Amino acid sequence: MLYIIGLGLADEKDISAKGLEVVRRADRVYLEAYTAVLLVEQSVLEAYYGRPVILADREMVESKSDEILAGADEKDVAFLVVGDPFSATTHTDLALRCRQNDPPISIRTFPNASILTAVGATGLSLYNFGQTVSMVFFTETWKPASFYDRIAENASLGLHTLVLLDIKVKEPNLQAMARGKIIYEPPRFMTVAQCASQMLEIDEERKQGICGKDSLAVGVARLGSDNQEIVAGTIEELTNADLGNPLHSLVLCGKKMHEMEWEYVRGFAIDQTKFDSIWKRDYAGHN
Amino acid sequence: MVNFTVEEIRLLMDEPRNIRNMSVIAHVDHGKSTLTDSLVQRAGIISAKNAGSARFTDTRPDEQERGVTIKSTAISLFGQLAEEADLKDIPVPTTKNEFLVNLIDSPGHVDFSSEVTAALRVTDGALVVVDTIEGVCVQTETVLRQALGERIKPVVIINKVDRALLELQLSKEDLFQNFSRVIESVNVVIATYFDKTLGDVQVQPDKGTVAFGSGLHGWAFTVRQFATRYSKKFGVDKNKMMERLWGDSWFNAKTKKWTKVGTHEGQTLERAFNQFCLDPIFRIFDSVMNFKKDEVTKLLEKLEIKLTSEEKDLEGKQLLKVVMRKFLPAADALMEMMILHLPSPATAQKYRMETLYEGPQDDESAIAIRDCDPKGPLMLYVSKMVPTSDKGRFYAFGRVFAGTARSGLKVRIQGPNYVPGRKEDLFVKSIQRTILMMGRYTDPIEDVPAGNILGLVGIDQFLLKSGTLTTSETAHNMKVMKFSVSPVVQRSVEVKNANDLPKLVEGLKRLSKSDPCVLTIINESGEHIVAGAGELHLEICLKDLEEDHAGVPLRISDPVVQYRESVSDTSRIHALSKSPNKHNRLYMVAQPLTEEVAKDIEAGKINPRDDFKLRARVLADEHGWDVTDARKIWCFGPDTNGPNLLVDQTKAVQYLNEIKDSVVSGFQWATKEGPVAEEPMRAVRFNIMDVTLHADAIHRGGGQIIPTARRVLYAATLLADPALLEPVFLVEIQVPEQAMGGIYGVLTRRRGHVIEETQRIGTPLFNVKAYLPVNESFGFNADLRAATSGQAFPQLVFDHWQILPGGSPLDRTTKPGQIVEEARKRKGLKPEVPGYENYYDKL
Repeated sequence: MLYIIGLGLADEKDISAKGLEVVRRADRVYLEAYTAVLLVEQSVLEAYYGRPVILADREMVESKSDEILAGADEKDVAFLVVGDPFSATTHTDLALRCRQNDPPISIRTFPNASILTAVGATGLSLYNFGQTVSMVFFTETWKPASFYDRIAENASLGLHTLVLLDIKVKEPNLQAMARGKIIYEPPRFMTVAQCASQMLEIDEERKQGICGKDSLAVGVARLGSDNQEIVAGTIEELTNADLGNPLHSLVLCGKKMHEMEWEYVRGFAIDQTKFDSIWKRDYAGHN
Repeated sequence: MVNFTVEEIRLLMDEPRNIRNMSVIAHVDHGKSTLTDSLVQRAGIISAKNAGSARFTDTRPDEQERGVTIKSTAISLFGQLAEEADLKDIPVPTTKNEFLVNLIDSPGHVDFSSEVTAALRVTDGALVVVDTIEGVCVQTETVLRQALGERIKPVVIINKVDRALLELQLSKEDLFQNFSRVIESVNVVIATYFDKTLGDVQVQPDKGTVAFGSGLHGWAFTVRQFATRYSKKFGVDKNKMMERLWGDSWFNAKTKKWTKVGTHEGQTLERAFNQFCLDPIFRIFDSVMNFKKDEVTKLLEKLEIKLTSEEKDLEGKQLLKVVMRKFLPAADALMEMMILHLPSPATAQKYRMETLYEGPQDDESAIAIRDCDPKGPLMLYVSKMVPTSDKGRFYAFGRVFAGTARSGLKVRIQGPNYVPGRKEDLFVKSIQRTILMMGRYTDPIEDVPAGNILGLVGIDQFLLKSGTLTTSETAHNMKVMKFSVSPVVQRSVEVKNANDLPKLVEGLKRLSKSDPCVLTIINESGEHIVAGAGELHLEICLKDLEEDHAGVPLRISDPVVQYRESVSDTSRIHALSKSPNKHNRLYMVAQPLTEEVAKDIEAGKINPRDDFKLRARVLADEHGWDVTDARKIWCFGPDTNGPNLLVDQTKAVQYLNEIKDSVVSGFQWATKEGPVAEEPMRAVRFNIMDVTLHADAIHRGGGQIIPTARRVLYAATLLADPALLEPVFLVEIQVPEQAMGGIYGVLTRRRGHVIEETQRIGTPLFNVKAYLPVNESFGFNADLRAATSGQAFPQLVFDHWQILPGGSPLDRTTKPGQIVEEARKRKGLKPEVPGYENYYDKL
């Protein structure tokens, strides 16, 4: 049996009691550590579980999944995923392999909190979110702008957009890769400020004003942990916001932002008067 | 002693119209260096006694020993026209009869023709030396083609005339016919590579662009010189006289008239050229060599040649040398020809600019180059590195095309991969010193204005082999040189003593710098590899490495050939690979690229920097491509300019442009190391048939796409009947008839075959052209010499790639298969080629 267990967002204690039981008795325990990271070290997890945990990086999950699944038809293997297994992450591929395996490996999933739901802490109603998009680190030559079309679709319906930010935990250096060598880059996490400035960059190119200087947005950091942080303001203001350690996410507010939502969000505003005046000018009354 | 000073030279540098930058080019052993000596002697650096045997420009001990030029050498000379009145014959108005001639003596052996390329780049004119007896040879043709490609104007000297007289005892008419034939074959080559902008540059003796002479004896003449002498005597215009002294023109002594027919009242007349130009020479030869003392004295009086009493005592060849040199000094004829007929930088840069400069033709740098403006932004091209006496350091050798280079000037050093606006391959540094290159000496000089050749100190650390130096921030690069030879032979080296490894690594770096063509590579298994154009080239490089650059004892492997991987068919099925996260799928097909297209890419005729519409036109019109396909070439590879293409044939794929960079990187990687033996690929066209992508950019970054692109390219290649291409030399052999049999035997044993066999008219020599696989060429020279009792002299130059016959490289029992296995073992790979399944993902 393969147990895919959600770990929640913050620390070692977010795991469900059921999940913990499985972890303690499983034959092998893998910790997926590239689509998201927990805010605590692996060693803290191991101490809490009272057992060793195998770190599974991107290469292992994507290219050597046989290793993970070996013997899982008879023994119990736990696969720990930060957040919720099938929410923001993409582990359907692993589940598919279990199904295709001969003999098939049965799967059990333990859900947990995900950024997709935790973002409700901003006061923006989860009912009013559109498609989720990701923002990658731009390079000089590679600036994928397709996220913009997605945001535009959401905006046309007046919906909010959750923007997940790139993390590069163990990314190969692309130049070295093109020369046939694998050299890993130091880990990088995108900040709300970086995301805001990349959004501005593309908006200046496309000139549709969908995530322009005066668009309202909310930046969040370390949701679900003791020191979570939420900051609201215009995209321009957010380019200078410092939300501290990773992980960060950003929500671009849709035009249908309700009065109730506004009232809650303005509590996080960097500059409340400005926030209020922009909301009144551009957002209020779109319902 | 030296009869000009650096100060004098520096003054001349300010007069672009009084500068001639020229290279001496020819087939090996046609006498370039010896002729150059005559000129150097005129400038006063070597004594008249040694001219002809000193080989001033052969600066290396091994060059002197072997009698072969290996490196090109530059020297600045001070020249004058014998008569000031001749200044009016220069096409561009010139007032001062003082000229600065920057001359570069280049190697004639094919293995070193990259040196010729480097020399041609910085010069505007070329003195093409052709042996009277051997005529136009393979390397004459190659260097001429290179010269014309760079828009360099040629003049010709037919050398070794003394041999035709002394050894072959040709008659005057035979000699004339011989000269005409040689000139005609030179003109055939020139006409083949006609360039509209450069105009008609065919050489004609009656225009003064051909000289005849003997470098060894130090004499030479042009028809113009004789015309000058006789025009006074006959009272005819000099130019008219020149026309009369060459070709089908006779002087009828009876009627005192010039005619176009060779007979008069049934009697054969003597051709004007023979009568007026050759006759005095034949008479001198005859009287001196047959010891007719009285006649010699009479002749000398008539020709107004004065000998010193010492010289009068000489006899035979020694006397001949002295007399001929006084009668027709080689330097006079050459200087006259060069000054009158080769362009000055001011003239040449006007039409060379567009072939020299990569950027827009109307930016400040382009205009400054065009006008040869010393006050414009500095545009300097470094064409090669010259070792200094200080071990491990190099002078950067090049030419100022615009602006003025001076010590301490802060310049932008742009390497060949520099792209305007970017910071890669760019340094901003000061020029430490500017110097004048004088054969084996150098002289410091304060500054050097546009149009001149110079050496730079302190640039070698920032440039590998060549590059552009400029003061303009917007300047693009000067065009990168294209070499006619490629490094196809390689040998691996290792140190005998493990402690010496760092010295070897350092030495390899220096070697790579000192030679424009050599390649030094470290492969996966840590092996150090040196690749060169041929056996001799490699031998010289390795000798330099061992004795000089590294200075440690080395163990050197047997030579190994560089192969190329290609395909002989279209992929059987569409190759498919999925990205590691399975969300992205690439579908591709490989197919052979026609040989013509591959060759045109290698020659730079079709190149990645062309306008894509023009390129598509060329591909469609000349190579039968579909225009839509031709416009959708994503890139060339390997190294972004190689002979493999990636073509986008997808329809309406969303986000395709967001993965283009990653696919291109994967393509560069795959074409650099193919799937069969990790050799570079050649002549393969990859078509992207379809792509499915994850909607979110985060799941289709380079980490996902690059390896996938490489895998799918490998799968496509393996599905398309992979083939191994081997390099083939064109061999040219000069051999007397009786030794022909030996050649055929040796060639057949080595999978070679003769493609052409011609007799040199008037000589017992045969000229044999053959193809010989590089793989079979090791030890060929020695073998051939043994089989022909030393009478055959081969020249080998890389010519083309051919499919290695004998079966599929994937089958270990075939010859290609064995070669692949050996190569894989050498590189530390699994001996067997992985099947396509390793790179192919099922749907």
